[in-house]
Amino acid sequence: MDFKKILRKLDEFKIITMPTIFVVFLLFAAVLVFYFTSAYPAIEKYGIDLFTTNVWKATEDATKEVYGLAAPIWGSIYTSVIAVILAIPIAIGYAIYVNDYAPEKLKYPLIIISDIMAGLPTVIYGIWGAFILVPFLRDNIMMFLYENFSYIPFFSTPPITGYGYLSAGVLLAIMVIPFASAIIREAYAMVPKVHKEGLYALGTTRYEATKVIVSYIKPAILSGFILAFGRALGETVAVSLVIGNSFNISYSLFSPGYTISSLIANQFGNAELYAYMVPTMYAGGLVLFVVGLIVNLIGLYYLRRWRSNVSH
Amino acid sequence: MFHIDYKKIRMIKENIFLIVVGALTLLATLPLFHIVFSIVSKGLSTVMESGLPFITETFSNGGIGPAIVGTLILTITATAIGVPLAFLAGAYAYEFPNSFIGKSTKILLQIMLEFPTILVGTFIAGIVVFPMGSYSLLAGALALAMILMPYVAVYTEEAMAEIPKIYKEGGYALGCTRAQVIFKVITKMAKKGILTGLLIGIAKVSGETAPLLYTAGGLYESYPNSLFEPVGSLPLLIYSLVQSPSPEDHKMAWGAALVMVIIFLGIFIPIRYSLKKDIKI
Amino acid sequence: MKRILAIILGLCLIIPMVSLSGCTDTGTTQTTGGETQTTGGNTQTTGGNTQTTSGTTQKVIQLRTTGASFPKNQIKTWIAKYQKINPNVKIEYQGGGSGQGQKDFLKGLTHIGRSDTPVKEKMWNDLKGTGDQPLQFPEIVGAVVITYNIPEIGNHNLKLSRDVLAGIFIGNIEYWDDERIKSLNPDVANKLPHKKITVVHRSDSSGTTAIFTTFLSMISKEWEEKVGSGKLVEWPTDKMERGVGGKGNPGVINTLKNTKYSIAYTELSYTIEEKLPTAAIENRNGKYVIPKDDTIKKAVSGVKSNIPDPKEGYKEDTKQLLDAPSDNAYPIVAFTHFLVWENINNKHYSTEEAKAIKDFLFWVLTDGQKPENLAPGYVGLPQDVANIGLKAAKSIKE
Repeated sequence: MDFKKILRKLDEFKIITMPTIFVVFLLFAAVLVFYFTSAYPAIEKYGIDLFTTNVWKATEDATKEVYGLAAPIWGSIYTSVIAVILAIPIAIGYAIYVNDYAPEKLKYPLIIISDIMAGLPTVIYGIWGAFILVPFLRDNIMMFLYENFSYIPFFSTPPITGYGYLSAGVLLAIMVIPFASAIIREAYAMVPKVHKEGLYALGTTRYEATKVIVSYIKPAILSGFILAFGRALGETVAVSLVIGNSFNISYSLFSPGYTISSLIANQFGNAELYAYMVPTMYAGGLVLFVVGLIVNLIGLYYLRRWRSNVSH
Repeated sequence: MFHIDYKKIRMIKENIFLIVVGALTLLATLPLFHIVFSIVSKGLSTVMESGLPFITETFSNGGIGPAIVGTLILTITATAIGVPLAFLAGAYAYEFPNSFIGKSTKILLQIMLEFPTILVGTFIAGIVVFPMGSYSLLAGALALAMILMPYVAVYTEEAMAEIPKIYKEGGYALGCTRAQVIFKVITKMAKKGILTGLLIGIAKVSGETAPLLYTAGGLYESYPNSLFEPVGSLPLLIYSLVQSPSPEDHKMAWGAALVMVIIFLGIFIPIRYSLKKDIKI
Repeated sequence: MKRILAIILGLCLIIPMVSLSGCTDTGTTQTTGGETQTTGGNTQTTGGNTQTTSGTTQKVIQLRTTGASFPKNQIKTWIAKYQKINPNVKIEYQGGGSGQGQKDFLKGLTHIGRSDTPVKEKMWNDLKGTGDQPLQFPEIVGAVVITYNIPEIGNHNLKLSRDVLAGIFIGNIEYWDDERIKSLNPDVANKLPHKKITVVHRSDSSGTTAIFTTFLSMISKEWEEKVGSGKLVEWPTDKMERGVGGKGNPGVINTLKNTKYSIAYTELSYTIEEKLPTAAIENRNGKYVIPKDDTIKKAVSGVKSNIPDPKEGYKEDTKQLLDAPSDNAYPIVAFTHFLVWENINNKHYSTEEAKAIKDFLFWVLTDGQKPENLAPGYVGLPQDVANIGLKAAKSIKE
């Protein structure tokens, strides 16, 4: 490889863009390194207990400090799972209606509504969730479930505050439905027209045709929900207003809990005061980061594979 | 006999399905209407009561002026920092979709798009705020820029990828260099898509709260006048007011939320209507 | 396409317009546009005392105070009144809790830190490690009160003995109609519902929590052994699914109001402002005392307060006003403190900032302590304690 060849390869375009690419990579690496190094003291001190126990003993005497992130980790995952379970039928139904059934006039506004909902500032969801959704859920839905079905473990805690896993899950579901349905809608639109025409030619009803198409885009639907799960995991502001902020691990939908991001929103401001709380916070952030990374990579991988399958 | 019954069942199924799907759609869109309705019904009275001073006065005088200005300045600074980076990164990912660096750039951008925003905030707090010893507009804007960047980059890449290859080939046939082809021909053709991405990104970051929690600091008694001093923002103000117990603060929160929704919809709806393409957020 | 450009253009126009309107409102410059505000502000230096300047083309000084939400209503009152006298000083109130107050103060993120409990020795050394001398002194007296949300009894003042109080917060007393509560409150015994008690507590590092848990440790051996005291403790009720956290005193009250059959501890001014009931607590002499102005004053006057030199703030004892030995003294009373820097070599404050801070502190410790400037629920400092603060304020270097 002689020098000229390298020089020819480095044209203007590369000279302009390469530094930016470098910055993007550097930024990503910096975030990773930063979270690892910042979290390390806590991981070193508490080992695996940091992630598997539920303790939060903060004192200014560093030898007596003990932290365990199990409750926030559990809360983050549990609320996101609730959100996705609630979102699945609604997002699919929404996508089908917009693509197949909505009258022309309604179609476009419906898409816009979904886009607005996907972009609406999260604090707006937060204020609505805290002041309106939570009291509504508590008085109408949780009370009913508790009074009639409290023998089911999910409903066993009296919904006293209303703040808790279910409220956070419902709010998150409302927030991720437009996101998931946009992915499904897009996949739906990618299905070659021939398939649909063929189905109708066979004399199927629209319901039957839809059933076939939905099974055809199943991988895209799955990846849509995986990505939605990833998005729900990282949501902070709206969740911190409705989760209850209590170090508690429970299956019961009505109990208050914590999520990693709401823990950071609540306590990062005073964490510096304690020797090991900042590293613990960053360790929580690291968990969020890694779980989110894995989830998103899987989601993106499936989506991409499915897309290339369809277009070939 | 059997044949007719079968057909009927199929038609009933069809109708039930239609009702179910319609109902689910209603359920999915209902929250938005309720949110807008409650914010207007609760926020309007606050805004009407104080009138214009509500959006120009400082907080102790019953207004949210500094927060509005703070949000605008933060958003503009973040755009100025993030967009050039994003555009170039997007262009690179478009031009080299099959090279290792190009591919990984795109994947990195997509991952960063889904990054929990609070982590961006604590990251910037750790590398900018603590060393500088002050919350600042700059720190807030950097955090927002980090969130804006992947949005614009991914949209740029997608918009460019939609331009037919033939234009690129035409450009090369005329003897243009690669930079000329991409920055002059392709960029011009993909302008609309790029701008859309830009505006959606702006709309998104103007409503962010979590990344500002530990970077911007908050400033509601006077207007921001320095890059290195704390700054307030609308979402941040709403977030702290929601956590207060006093009804007056709640009223302010609803009023501020109304202003915020108006700003957001004011940016968002015109853009969305100006292009009849199915976009995803 | 054009529409998009128009929107961008419109956005660019809105910003200077809004900032312009801002300028005219604060009265810093004439209506000559956003540009002149910054240049004008930089070239003009503040001439003399901030008090003599008002409304002219003077640079606005921004101060920031962060931390304890225990004195929130008092600080907000002070700020509002002070800004009326001195329009060129804008003081930004931020909550965040005593923990954040100390941390932000250490990091230089705030001018005046607020902490309910005195800074601990380790933190004090960290503060001194910055090369500047921290100063700590009490600013006001407040009371931690017990409030609850029981619709059946409304605003009736429950009586809580020391054992019952500890029992509720440690989780031993599970229901509101527990015999131990009933027997103390015969007049509402029939109304107390068979509902689980939800304990609302702080989710952030809080001086209010520290004062309250210190008191609980003083009155209950069990509490001291199982939980202890501090700005953050592990609430036993959390693990029984009967505990909820709220951020800041405001967050706690918010949660309490939305939660039937809950109990919480907070500062008196919050219950006054929100018209919430407060419990009469059994004091050292076995009397049940409701928190109000004179019972708090009794607690303050009942003990000889021992405030160390502002330069040695860590030596102060949180317990000094707690559990005062007087029949009419409310037992959970405490000083809440300001933290400022001595500002050696202008390390933390510019000259103008230092002047403004001094002036504000002087005002707070003199005029600010007068009844007309006190928010309901707070009690002014005894004169000798206020003098300690004045001495500290005087020592700030400009």
